Amino acid sequence: MLTIKHFSKSYKGGKKAVNDLNLVVEKGDIYGFIGHNGAGKTTTIRSVVGVLDFEEGDIEIDGISIKKDPVACKTVTAYIPDNPDLYDHLTGIQYLNFIGDLFSVSKADRESLIKKYSDAFQITASLGNMISSYSHGMKQKLAIISALIHKPKLLVLDEPFVGLDPKAAHVLKTIMADLCSNGSAIFFSTHVLDVAEKLCNKIAIIKAGQLITHGKTEEVKGDKSLEDVFLGLIDND
Amino acid sequence: MLLLSIGILMGVVMIAVASFGYSFMVAQTFEQIGRMDLLLAIMMAAASIIGFFTTIYKASGVLFGFKDYDLVMSLPIKTSHVVASRVLQLYLLNLFFTLMVMLPAGAVYAIKVNPEALYYLFFLMALWFIPLLPIIAASIIGALISWVSSRFKASRMISIILTFVVIIAVMIGSFRINGNEQVLTDMSTQLADMIFKLYPLAAMYVDAVCSYQMGSLLLFIMISVLTFVLFATVLGTRYKAIHTGLTTSHASSKYVMKPLAASSPFRALYKKELRRYMSSSIYVLNTSVGMVLLLVMSIALLFISSEKLGQLIEIPQLSNYLSKLAPLVVSLFITLSCTTSSSISLEGNNVWILKSSPVSKQTILLSKVAVNLTITMPISIVSCVMLMISLRTSWMESLLLLVIPLIYACYSALMGVIVNIKLPNLEWTSEVTVVKQSAAVLVSMLIGFISLVIPFGISLLLSHVNGNLILLGIGIIIMAVCSVMYRYIQTNGEQLFRAL
Repeated sequence: MLTIKHFSKSYKGGKKAVNDLNLVVEKGDIYGFIGHNGAGKTTTIRSVVGVLDFEEGDIEIDGISIKKDPVACKTVTAYIPDNPDLYDHLTGIQYLNFIGDLFSVSKADRESLIKKYSDAFQITASLGNMISSYSHGMKQKLAIISALIHKPKLLVLDEPFVGLDPKAAHVLKTIMADLCSNGSAIFFSTHVLDVAEKLCNKIAIIKAGQLITHGKTEEVKGDKSLEDVFLGLIDND
Repeated sequence: MLLLSIGILMGVVMIAVASFGYSFMVAQTFEQIGRMDLLLAIMMAAASIIGFFTTIYKASGVLFGFKDYDLVMSLPIKTSHVVASRVLQLYLLNLFFTLMVMLPAGAVYAIKVNPEALYYLFFLMALWFIPLLPIIAASIIGALISWVSSRFKASRMISIILTFVVIIAVMIGSFRINGNEQVLTDMSTQLADMIFKLYPLAAMYVDAVCSYQMGSLLLFIMISVLTFVLFATVLGTRYKAIHTGLTTSHASSKYVMKPLAASSPFRALYKKELRRYMSSSIYVLNTSVGMVLLLVMSIALLFISSEKLGQLIEIPQLSNYLSKLAPLVVSLFITLSCTTSSSISLEGNNVWILKSSPVSKQTILLSKVAVNLTITMPISIVSCVMLMISLRTSWMESLLLLVIPLIYACYSALMGVIVNIKLPNLEWTSEVTVVKQSAAVLVSMLIGFISLVIPFGISLLLSHVNGNLILLGIGIIIMAVCSVMYRYIQTNGEQLFRAL
């Protein structure tokens, strides 16, 4: 579903944020992307979803290069950034309808899916309010709903659990599992290693822009906890 | 970036030279009547009026509309100091105009009068305090408007309407003063008396700088500084309440799912952009003041004939010029109303939504152009119809009056969006920095201005040639430029947007 080939990204001044990254996320995968602050997770994620331009390597979604046909790639992808900066001047429902329009979601689908997910996240009653009045957690819930209403084949999330209350975090985990059982793929970054260990079937660990290990969760962690493996790899050299 | 810096520098030099030329011309009249002090009085009053006018509609935005409010207010700083820092931001914005007016005037005065060394000292000392009082006067009005608006549900809309009411009232008021006295260009002691009567600080300033009165200088500085401190302290006591009133949304928890209307991506982007526009009072005020002035002027001309207006401002040929050049005059107001030159920068942290959406970036850019045209085109058409009646234009003149501004509306909107995508500023904390001070806004204003100055110049220089023919030629050229820009967006929009 997602193939990252020899992806490198440098910032002004020549510093490499990510160096020669190779990764494959298959249908049905819940792929956890782990690394310390500044390791290159967000840079990779932003490049995958077409927010950040890059020069070296290629990224393919559903077999299509994001560079060659970005619109086709974005049609099947949903993205939730680490900070849900949404349009403060719209109401929650206006925002969701706007996203529905951009992704050409049918009227019937958008109405039923908005109801389904906003009920699940318990924010239906607040959808008529301006987003500027929302708390961080409510914005995060709205961003998640907007990502789900167009039934993406690939869901890319950057720290999706930050700001969510325990109930909402549980709802999100259930939805993620449901999506993957229906053939979608999820690629997400997180610092919550417990969640990654329990939720993900595959894990990649990145350090200073280099992929240091990746594969099936059981193979990566062996008989240790993911936390021990992560700390061991990060503290090495 | 080097080209941009050179361009801005050239612009500054051009303004300074024009200002010097104007001061020099005016000074010749005062020299004849032996009242060179009037030059500084008039220029000081002019700088103050510019400061007042340019501050009144952005005061509310600068004082209350900044994103890092929570961060700033949680710091161990007095609220009055926060207010003072906001007013000082307005001060810095205005200092440029004051320097552009006063430095050349001061130089002309020095050349003509050859004053004592004390003049230079007093002139340079007083210079920095000239913009303070006009800015505070405008800020008081801005803060009052915000205070009144903050008590209503639709606070932003009320704030926009009240600001326009004040601007139009001040304009009509000043026009009536000028009209009654009939002294707009009759530079005489009468005018100076009027300035001193209306703005006593100008008298104090002239006394200090031209007559080397230490007392007047100290009084001038003291009044300016004390008013500033008093304003900051008084507003400091109501600051949080006003900010809360302006920024708090009226939230209820009663929404029930209703049927939703689906739109095409373009229509959805257009509606979103229009809502964005209406949500920011500084954006609306800054980009629609030109259209409001155009409408007021067109209505006024229905009641005052252009001949009478010509007599009033002592340009007897005005009615002639006006019917010939009206399409360009209307176009000038349109280029002042360019919303697109800041529309991409205003996406700010939200830009990820558009960048990750499966919509061609050309569609996004064109939706921004469409919003600009929604603001300029209807008012332009209504104003032009009124101008056709008041100026009694021929059918050809009427046609040009209707079409040329519409072509310029397309030109201005397309040019603004291209300039903004080339010079974006997505990292901002206050909308004022994008709407008022960003490089994209300055550059597109400069290009818009040049695009009109050249046709104006050609029309005036070739006055023996049929004016309609010249306008027709200009229209065709601008239309060709529009089609080139449209094509540029179609072919390069995707790549340019990705590079943001």
